[in-house]
Amino acid sequence: MKRNYFVFVQALLVTVVIFIIGFYIGLSVEGSHLNQVNDYYTRSEVSLVDILALNSLTGSETISCKGMVEATKNLLDKVYKEAALLGQYEESEKLTDSLKTLHTKYDVLRTYLWINSINIKKVCPSSNFSTIVYLYKHDEQDLTKKAEQNVWSKLLLEIKNENKNMFLIPIAQDSNLISLASLTERYNLTNFPAVIINENRIFYEIPEKGEILALINNSSI
Amino acid sequence: MEFVTALYLIYSFLAFYFLFLFVLIYLGHRKEILFVPRPKNKYLVSVVIPCYNEEESIGMTIDAIVKNGCKRLKKIIVVDDCSTDGSYKIMREYAKKYPGLVMAVKTPKNTGNAAGAKNYGSRFVNTDLILFTDADSFPEKGAIEKMVGFFDEENTGAVTASVLVKNKSNFLLRLQTLEYVVIKFTRKLLEFIDSIYVTPGPLAMYRTKHFVEVGRFDEKNLTEDIEITWRMLDKGYDVKMSVPSRVYTIAPGKFRQWFNQRIRWNMGGVQAILKHKDKFFKKGMLGHFVLPLFVSSWIIGIFGLGFFLYRAARWVFVNYLTTTYSVQANAAVLSVRDISLNPDILFFFGIILFVFSMAFTLISLFHEKEKGFKSPRVFDTLVYAFFYLLTYPVILVTSVYKLMRRNVRW
Repeated sequence: MKRNYFVFVQALLVTVVIFIIGFYIGLSVEGSHLNQVNDYYTRSEVSLVDILALNSLTGSETISCKGMVEATKNLLDKVYKEAALLGQYEESEKLTDSLKTLHTKYDVLRTYLWINSINIKKVCPSSNFSTIVYLYKHDEQDLTKKAEQNVWSKLLLEIKNENKNMFLIPIAQDSNLISLASLTERYNLTNFPAVIINENRIFYEIPEKGEILALINNSSI
Repeated sequence: MEFVTALYLIYSFLAFYFLFLFVLIYLGHRKEILFVPRPKNKYLVSVVIPCYNEEESIGMTIDAIVKNGCKRLKKIIVVDDCSTDGSYKIMREYAKKYPGLVMAVKTPKNTGNAAGAKNYGSRFVNTDLILFTDADSFPEKGAIEKMVGFFDEENTGAVTASVLVKNKSNFLLRLQTLEYVVIKFTRKLLEFIDSIYVTPGPLAMYRTKHFVEVGRFDEKNLTEDIEITWRMLDKGYDVKMSVPSRVYTIAPGKFRQWFNQRIRWNMGGVQAILKHKDKFFKKGMLGHFVLPLFVSSWIIGIFGLGFFLYRAARWVFVNYLTTTYSVQANAAVLSVRDISLNPDILFFFGIILFVFSMAFTLISLFHEKEKGFKSPRVFDTLVYAFFYLLTYPVILVTSVYKLMRRNVRW
């Protein structure tokens, strides 16, 4: 019976072809994710510039505090959803790491929105909203911390969904942002993840949901 | 690229490669799988049946050989390895029942393994071909005759058969039934690249002069049927398989027996590798394919199992902590985000690999529907595909551990 040892090479060729096709599809999918999120980011940037323009009108009679709060909240909500999508895409990004840079861009955006929310509170002291800033480590390796971060993000999302007058601003503290570093310096943060509520109360340990809700409700009264 | 991703891609590549290798061999030779050459030479065959405490089945095995319809059968040598039950008495009764055909012999002392009894019995053989079967295996009528024609090619040293499970009364046996069918199919495919690596004990025929030339069975090896096949390959002899020659064997029906059998198989495999380690990447398919395949599949299996357990332990730990903290914080334990699926390139590779593997398994199962083999239950097939095969590396690790502790027992 004639032997066909060429089958070893044939199998190798078929495998290589399948892998090339797989890589091509994988890179295309990851590329389309990048384009989609990039597109969202560009639109969010437009909204940010719009808010900047709005802020420049502070003091003018034509601008209401309500309008500034509304615009910031809407943008924060939009950015939150986009960042959640970005997170999902990042988890499925295996061949490239282009989304990481985009994540940092979103962190800059959110840092700016945090600064903006502090300014709004100064300019409009009667405005009725709470801010929760959640500082976490994007590239956390410690499993205990990772579990803590999982719970923090679930807990804060639940609280956000239950409170309309609340800004939730999650920011990765390991994004190496100068603005964020100088902002967090004033809170003497010793540990991460950390949650800052209304710029005056810091949590390092996960409290009961009711404790955070009570803080927010008290500040809203 | 992360280490996990790179590792997964390497595993996928190897899995795809071997899968395609088998698929391509199948496509190239699918019409030859059931081929049985009609014997041109007038060979005579002797059968050797080693027996140790098999009083329940030895009579049926002898009957199955006698009534197999092989006219070239000269002698059936039943070797009692100093059984402590009534096996020898039954053998002698059969020797009286079939005078001149069945011969009952007894080893001077218990050899402690099947190889010892087989070698002892082989010394009474003076025919061209020698057939071995186990005392708990039952060749189907005509199975022996269908193996003989392969020896017309002068270079054929051994011919193996389709080993199938006789008893299918419980779940474990049904899983083994599937396993045996897949194994016999892939073994036949390996014939087309001269790489059959085992001539299993339930039914294997050797050309006597080659069998003697390679030094008979290695009595120190726990899987003498693997080891002798490697020596046949090393000597350059062909090993063939007669797929239509079916032999039904009694498989272990209890988990403990099954586990011990698999440990023995793996320990024997490791012994064979150590014995033939100097032949890696040397002449023939033994050094260029069989040995590297064995070793690499074991390394991949053990490393893969280790890595899988490491990842699984991390996952369990993180989820345990997350659940504990969630309960303490009065937050939802499970949210929609936790169960969201992010398909990625690895997921797609996994799906394609799974589909191809399942297709190959189904081709193996249904290529030639076995006698008495009803369509397998979907549940059994899924358990076989998802869980049963995962036990292989666990068994291998246990075997290596036992071997290192020199706990070598048949």
